[in-house]
Amino acid sequence: MTHAQATSPRSFDDYVSATSVEAAVRALADGDGTPVAGGTDLWIQKDLGVKPFAGRLVNIRRIAALRGIEERGGRIRVGALTTMTEVLDSDCLRRFAPVLPATADRFASVQIRNVATIGGNIINASPAADFVVPLLCLDAEAELACWRGERVATRCLPLGDLLAGPGHTRREPVELLTAVHFDTPAADFHAAFCKSGPRPALEIARVSLCLAGRLVDRRLTCVRLALGAVAPTAIRCLRTEATIEGAVLDDTVLRHALECLDSEIAPIDDVRSSAWYRRHLARTYLEQELRRVLEG
Amino acid sequence: MSHADTPRVIERHSVIGARVPKLDAEDKVTGRTRYVNDMVLPRMLHAKILRTDRVHARIIRIDTARAEALPGVVAIITAADMPKAGIGVLKDNPPLKSDKVRTIRDELAAVAAESEAICDAALRLIEVEYEDLPAIFECIDALKPGAPVIHSERPDNVAMVHEFVHGDVDSAERASDVVVEGKYNVHYVTHCNMGVSCVLADIGVDGRVTLYSQTQYPYIMKMDIAPALDVHPGDIRIIQPPVGGAFGSKLDVYPYEPICVALARKARRPVKLAFSRKEEFIASPTRQPVEFTIRAGMTKDGILTFRDIDTLLNNGGYTSWGATTPFVTMRTCSSHYRVPHVRYRARAIYTNNPYAGSFRGYGNVQATWAIETHMDKMAEVAGPDPVAFRLKNANEPGDVTPQGARLNNIDLKGCLKIAAAKSDFVSKWARYREGWNSNSRVKRGIGIAASLHNAGGAKIHKSDGCGTILKVDDYARVTVITGASDIGQGIDTVIAQFVAEELGVPMRDVTVIANDTATGPWDVGVHASRTTYIAGNSARRAARKARAMILDQAAKQSNVTADCLDLRAGHVVQADNGVVVIPLDRLLRQMHFAGQDATLVMVTDYYEPPSQPEDKNHIGDMSACYSHAVHVAEIIVDTLTGEIRVETVWSVQDVGRIVNPVGLEGQIEGGIAMGLGYALSEELKIENGIVRNPYFRDYHVFTAPQMPRFDLTFIETADAEGPAGAKGIAELPTIVIAPAIGNALYNATGLRIDHPPLTPEKVARGLWDRAQAMKRAAE
Amino acid sequence: MSLKVDIVFTLNGAAVRASVSADANALVVLREQFDLAGAKLACGEGECGACTIIVDGLSLNGCLMPAADLDGRRVETIEGLWRGAGLDPVQKTFVETGAIQCGFCTPGMVMQARHLIERNPDASEADIRRGLEGNICRCTGYRKIVDAVVLTLRAARP
Repeated sequence: MTHAQATSPRSFDDYVSATSVEAAVRALADGDGTPVAGGTDLWIQKDLGVKPFAGRLVNIRRIAALRGIEERGGRIRVGALTTMTEVLDSDCLRRFAPVLPATADRFASVQIRNVATIGGNIINASPAADFVVPLLCLDAEAELACWRGERVATRCLPLGDLLAGPGHTRREPVELLTAVHFDTPAADFHAAFCKSGPRPALEIARVSLCLAGRLVDRRLTCVRLALGAVAPTAIRCLRTEATIEGAVLDDTVLRHALECLDSEIAPIDDVRSSAWYRRHLARTYLEQELRRVLEG
Repeated sequence: MSHADTPRVIERHSVIGARVPKLDAEDKVTGRTRYVNDMVLPRMLHAKILRTDRVHARIIRIDTARAEALPGVVAIITAADMPKAGIGVLKDNPPLKSDKVRTIRDELAAVAAESEAICDAALRLIEVEYEDLPAIFECIDALKPGAPVIHSERPDNVAMVHEFVHGDVDSAERASDVVVEGKYNVHYVTHCNMGVSCVLADIGVDGRVTLYSQTQYPYIMKMDIAPALDVHPGDIRIIQPPVGGAFGSKLDVYPYEPICVALARKARRPVKLAFSRKEEFIASPTRQPVEFTIRAGMTKDGILTFRDIDTLLNNGGYTSWGATTPFVTMRTCSSHYRVPHVRYRARAIYTNNPYAGSFRGYGNVQATWAIETHMDKMAEVAGPDPVAFRLKNANEPGDVTPQGARLNNIDLKGCLKIAAAKSDFVSKWARYREGWNSNSRVKRGIGIAASLHNAGGAKIHKSDGCGTILKVDDYARVTVITGASDIGQGIDTVIAQFVAEELGVPMRDVTVIANDTATGPWDVGVHASRTTYIAGNSARRAARKARAMILDQAAKQSNVTADCLDLRAGHVVQADNGVVVIPLDRLLRQMHFAGQDATLVMVTDYYEPPSQPEDKNHIGDMSACYSHAVHVAEIIVDTLTGEIRVETVWSVQDVGRIVNPVGLEGQIEGGIAMGLGYALSEELKIENGIVRNPYFRDYHVFTAPQMPRFDLTFIETADAEGPAGAKGIAELPTIVIAPAIGNALYNATGLRIDHPPLTPEKVARGLWDRAQAMKRAAE
Repeated sequence: MSLKVDIVFTLNGAAVRASVSADANALVVLREQFDLAGAKLACGEGECGACTIIVDGLSLNGCLMPAADLDGRRVETIEGLWRGAGLDPVQKTFVETGAIQCGFCTPGMVMQARHLIERNPDASEADIRRGLEGNICRCTGYRKIVDAVVLTLRAARP
């Protein structure tokens, strides 16, 4: 719109609609491909000139192998093309990891949920990425595929290691995110997701938080605490987790947990919120969830 | 319907007060309606404006050569291609800038090309060189000696001053038992019309201009835009297709329209210029921000004694209708409740911020926030409760205000009493305050506010009138051409109801034609809650003339007097028993095919409301009538996150007479939604003159799940002059709700926030700071 | 400029073909190549819902859908609702309840309402409000829009 916008919007010079993982990674193999599924982030960003876009658009939305949610042998696999609506509707996830449908219910709008994929939410890597937060609490791993040595090669890595910075992941340009996996949570696993309002969902989170763990006798073990929008990526707060691990909640434990939280997050001032308010919300949500879970 | 089916007797049924669907609803619900944004003309080009990235800078050079060479570019213009004339209320806004830029919106050049994409590419090829100038953004800085001068013609940076004095404020203050002070700064918000700004220009071979425009004031616009086009106003035709909202944003000439005309002239092809949504947020006029300093006094019995109000208006870089909002603000300051002594001053100050225009409520949204928040503070001192305090000071029917407005047929007291009763206000208000010191995280609050607004137009031009042209054809189908425009508010349907009522025809047989200045009669514009009253009266009078022609002829033919006859369901009938005399269409054909005595039923009317312009001291009964609304809001506050959920809004409004309950409710509900956004979530964040949140993702209007339950009550005071007693209604719902929310927050928590919006962060921070202060005090 | 991609898809029940730019969105293709002006460009960032269309039975924002991905899909726009016997029940109740003022949001609102009704015939008023969160209306305050959807659901129940 103004003289200052010197970069041109993206003009794609090649288009591939892949129907298999092999076709997709072969189309990405020269490093000049942009995978697209729902397009709800990409189709806004491509014209802004803030992110570099490759010349070949690779439509991965029709790859059946990237769909589906399955629990098998104590592991749950969620295909990268799973939409937020599919997460909401999934009997498997409602049964084994209800925090994920609960998170999807706070995501954007119905129209966006119908097409936005968990893969897209992860790779877009917003510091406020709603869906990444509970996945971190589930110790999710990301599965990536690429074309190497005349075949499809895959690697897995913890989701937290994939995130690199605001809008950046450690996905190589030749790679495609194909799925996330996590161990089927135990029967006593509890997880809750909080997100700032006041709108129910159509908000970019000022702060989001997920507190999870195995709840026995008013104590949480295997504590997982993840937050969004308080650091360059969604993060786990390991030292804060340690203060909660196995502890009975009292004023001292609570105070210690909140102090640790304060030291582990690095919120910024931006157009949506001040750093103060982000800290305030993070503390509010942590205390709220600790009391809810550990005080009954 | 064949004449064999004609019933012998027809009863009278009134369509006034009936729930009538909007006339154009079926076209809109099927996607058939073509808005300006959807229009395409043969060989049409697209256009985009090059806007600056500076807020204050001298323009050294604009070089369009590379852009001109781009294939697909047909015309590029700069200031040299247009007359030197400025547009806007003070004519200080040249559509294309040549000497300097003063705001982030400033228009440097414009391109017409075969596609929007080519336009965007061409804009990127235009080179601009600047010499940066120091910039100012706050009124207080612009007033300092030695401050940068925005317009050389006004070296003190003062664009406009409004002052009003009634009585002796200084003595009144000395005589007051209690004086309360307050400062209120109200913020920038924007209209967010779903249809972005868009115009199509088509130039005839002879140079005559046709504009397909979203304007709300086509007839005066011809005069306002002509100097920027070097064209006689009589050679400008403005056609108004359906628009996707307006809310006051289109009551002035803004640069994009004359720019589009100039491009169409140069290109010799029709040109369509449409904003992107981001551009809409940045370049569309905002609501006028105001800094209020208020001192108000009362006796120990809680009777108001004086108000002394000083305001600063951030005028931005150019002047539009934001600077004139004091005209309405001052009425609330001087006349909302009985105030014996008043002093009011408003100074609109130039800065390098974006400028404001008109917006639903026009200065009264701002004034009511300040006055009703201040009244609530005074009620706190005076007791016993906010309702009793307001009742004690309420205007009564027959009052003449300090500005000479005659408040006939008003019922502020009735509105207050009903609102308080329906919401159980006093007992809840007392109960919720007791929770101030409780440790509950979630607290309830209830708040009340009221306001006064013009409900029969505003005589700010030489005429506040509206014309109607009406014909009834051989099939008894009625065509109404009104000068007023439907901008979605439902005036088409209301006019059809008045006409159908007089002529006794079914609603479906009345067509209301959208505005075209070539064929339509003059109207001053769609603003000031005037259309139901003024356009309605005009249409009614025209319909009565047609009715008289018809009944006179029917009376002659049946050898009775006209007052023995009536028009019902497309027939002439006997008035006392409904016996059918003759079908209307047959009568009309007899009138038409009568040889040398042929008569076609075609009539006109021009209605001028009995209001007076204000004199230079701001005295004058400037609206044909006035009305009040009272809102009570019950809210739930999360004292940790600061989130406020509005649970219920009770609205009681004096509407004169309900013409169409569907349309009326829709205007109230929509107006409240806009006011809720103003109170709680909408804020155009302008820092150093730059709009930081020009996107819906960061500028939050209210969505469906956020809306409260509505409880709407309408009081019918039956204005003597209003059509069927009706008054204008559509601005009050946006005007009143915000301070009700602020007062409810105070009732819930004891926290007073003087400057809207009451965002979660502001509320949380306010409560946190207060809790910390109390902790420190306790230590 | 950008690469052109040939696509074939079903549009309001009819088989159609088009040649679309690889960086275009579905909304601009429907509006400009098929003259279906019902769906509106009102924000271009998926925040307002005025461009809501239904694709393979799911509502989505046309402004964010890669146009090339229309290939092989079943697309329904507002223009497709009024066929055969008359207005769709949702359209009728919108008109009767007064859910339309300026009407710019209406096509998107109606398509989203259709989607909600089909997906959850037992939706409560709260469900409907949540379901319309992605559709902004600046005129009505949503009250009559929600009433219209509630009425439609009630009328459809046996």
